[in-house]
Amino acid sequence: MIFNSLTFLVFVAVFLPVYFNLKGRNRLIWALAGSYLFYGWWDWRFLSLIAISTMVDFYLGSKMHVEDDERKRKQLLLASMVLNLGLLGFFKYFGFFTDSFVAMLQNFGLNPSIHTLNIILPVGISFYTFQSMSYTIDIFRKKLTPEPDVLRFATFVAFWPQLVAGPIVRASDFLPQFRKDHNFEWNRFTSGIAQVLWGFFKKVAVADSLSPIIDQCFGEPNAFASIYLLIGVVFYSFQIYCDFSGYSDIAIGFARMLGFDFPHNFRTPYFSKGFSEFWRRWHISLSSWLRDYLYISLGGNRKGNVKTYRNLMLTMLLGGLWHGANWTFVFWGFLHGLYLMVERFWSKSFGAIMDFLRFPKALKLTINLLLVYFFTCFAWIFFRSPDFGTAMEVINGIAGLEGFNAVNIMNKFIVMKGVMLISFLLVVEISDLKWNWGEVVLRNPVFRVASFAVLLWMIAFFGTFGSNAFIYFQF
Amino acid sequence: MKNLTWILAVLILAFVGDRAGAWLLGTITQQSQFRYSRLYNGAAACDVLLIGNSRGLIFYQPYIEEKTGLSTTNISYNGLPMDLASVLVKDFIDKNGAPKLLLVDVTMLDKRMDERLLTGFNLYVPDSDRLSKLMEEKYPTSYFGGQVSNLYRYNSEVFQRALYYWNRSDKDWLLDRVISPTMQANAAYLDSFDYDYSPEMLNDLADLLQFTEGKNIKVELVINPYYPPFAEKIGNLGTLKEAIKNATQKEVLDYSNSIQGVEGFGDYQHLNKTGAKAYLDMLIEDGVLDY
Repeated sequence: MIFNSLTFLVFVAVFLPVYFNLKGRNRLIWALAGSYLFYGWWDWRFLSLIAISTMVDFYLGSKMHVEDDERKRKQLLLASMVLNLGLLGFFKYFGFFTDSFVAMLQNFGLNPSIHTLNIILPVGISFYTFQSMSYTIDIFRKKLTPEPDVLRFATFVAFWPQLVAGPIVRASDFLPQFRKDHNFEWNRFTSGIAQVLWGFFKKVAVADSLSPIIDQCFGEPNAFASIYLLIGVVFYSFQIYCDFSGYSDIAIGFARMLGFDFPHNFRTPYFSKGFSEFWRRWHISLSSWLRDYLYISLGGNRKGNVKTYRNLMLTMLLGGLWHGANWTFVFWGFLHGLYLMVERFWSKSFGAIMDFLRFPKALKLTINLLLVYFFTCFAWIFFRSPDFGTAMEVINGIAGLEGFNAVNIMNKFIVMKGVMLISFLLVVEISDLKWNWGEVVLRNPVFRVASFAVLLWMIAFFGTFGSNAFIYFQF
Repeated sequence: MKNLTWILAVLILAFVGDRAGAWLLGTITQQSQFRYSRLYNGAAACDVLLIGNSRGLIFYQPYIEEKTGLSTTNISYNGLPMDLASVLVKDFIDKNGAPKLLLVDVTMLDKRMDERLLTGFNLYVPDSDRLSKLMEEKYPTSYFGGQVSNLYRYNSEVFQRALYYWNRSDKDWLLDRVISPTMQANAAYLDSFDYDYSPEMLNDLADLLQFTEGKNIKVELVINPYYPPFAEKIGNLGTLKEAIKNATQKEVLDYSNSIQGVEGFGDYQHLNKTGAKAYLDMLIEDGVLDY
């Protein structure tokens, strides 16, 4: 089931009233049943994967907690990792590694006959396996005590608002919230609705309106002149941001309505002055997961410069691979790893040059913002392209500076609509830094009524309907 | 009670704003110089009515008017499907009176069109029972959406065009570029294809022609020119003409290969201004525009 569908509207209309009329275990059972229905609507067979991951991690977590022998604790953790990463590896990466292996052998003149399996990727598997893994890792690190109630644990793993595309919530933050009944709170509910509406606006109005232009550009880059390709890349940077942060807003908003607090997943990432800051603002739940469970496990920045660079690169390469089974994602991760390394190496000297040139503060800030945005967009080209050939066609097309001598032209009406919506988004986000609209919605009832009505009008007037799936579902 | 008041306030404001906004946009649409606004305003009466998909836009009105002295209205649109075309022509005749000549480019009998196009015409639903019925039948979700939120009716490129042409004429638009060398070179490598028409589309065309009977309208069915190397790739133009003749008892005038060279083409399927003028000269010379 996806948020921008009529089925989901019916689901919510039934789920919410029943949820608030139940208490204790009945509410948990209802939440779990709703979550499994939400997921199973897409393909009920893959519910078994969530169930297996849930049961095994629940069992291993309990065993690990009572086990004193460090070696056995490690074995239990290893079992959890093998299971979760095994499921992820098989369903997401089996075909990718097999194809890559065959291609490598072919480079050596061999022609192996290897049968590949046509495996369907279960939606959201990357999200719930990471969430479930964080539970066993935190128990291993003795940062968390195991959850004694399997029903509560199962609901934590499958909770529908964030099940298929995050945010990836940690057991230590989220499980305790299941231990009390959340009464209906009007303020929480309205604040949740505000975030849900804003998320819908970002998804159906902004992201989906930009989609036709982007699909054209990356579908046939050779047919477009540089200016159009440039528009396509800039539009993509906003499409992916609005699509994914829109999903996060909807998830966080619904969770808040139900009584749960999820952490922020995006904080105006394109206003970052550096790449490390970008990763503190973009997909925060994943980047902090990778930092805490991978980068720090590798040694973080505690073992000298060389190893710090190595750890940064490894973390970003795996972060890239997490997004999808394609070398373009790995390269996207590589670029961000490189950006972080260069920033670490160069930032002081760069600041010194700026100071030496006596650039005004505002100009320095603008240069930083534009540089980060430019290089982020460059990496997005690889992220969006189906293969390296397409990415290079886009880059060559832009660099070729062919002006307006296009084979194909873009629909100027869609471009104008896109520019207008992006401008509106930026105005809201920039003004939010000063006024914090979320707070104003809570404080001022007149503003609340007006903003809800305006968002509803804008969704009706600008929205693209027809159940376009969220981009991050494929990850 | 306070919360209930709050919910009611949002719902009332959303509803009233939706209706008020739609009324405002409807007024703008009505006043627009866009062809469909003129059509539904009854301000598009003409001697020659032209219709087709994007290929029909090459019926360049200023040139026809200059050469023949006849008034023209072109209600072609990118990707226009036959069922919608039939509704538009019938509505045109009801609202503006019968033209003396109806010129139809029949290559719009193809399933490969943007399915969302029809929903774009949602904004003219209040002006047309035929359009309303077609929308309800083909795209019930969009139709229902337009009933719930009247603003949603204006959520389309058709409205953006109505806005763009609010105070300017849309009669004078035509491609003015020449097909690029890359496209010329690529033409040889294109795959062959067939027009994918359906019996329903043929019925819609036949039904339209039946509607024009007795209204003293001369109808001409034509196939507008293609870039010659591209025309060679179409496998079933002959079959299409035959099927149309069987359905309508009317001969199709085939100009698909009538313009040679590259100078007259904007791309594979569309003439540019130069090509359109040469083609229209041909139609005038052949007496197609006589009535």
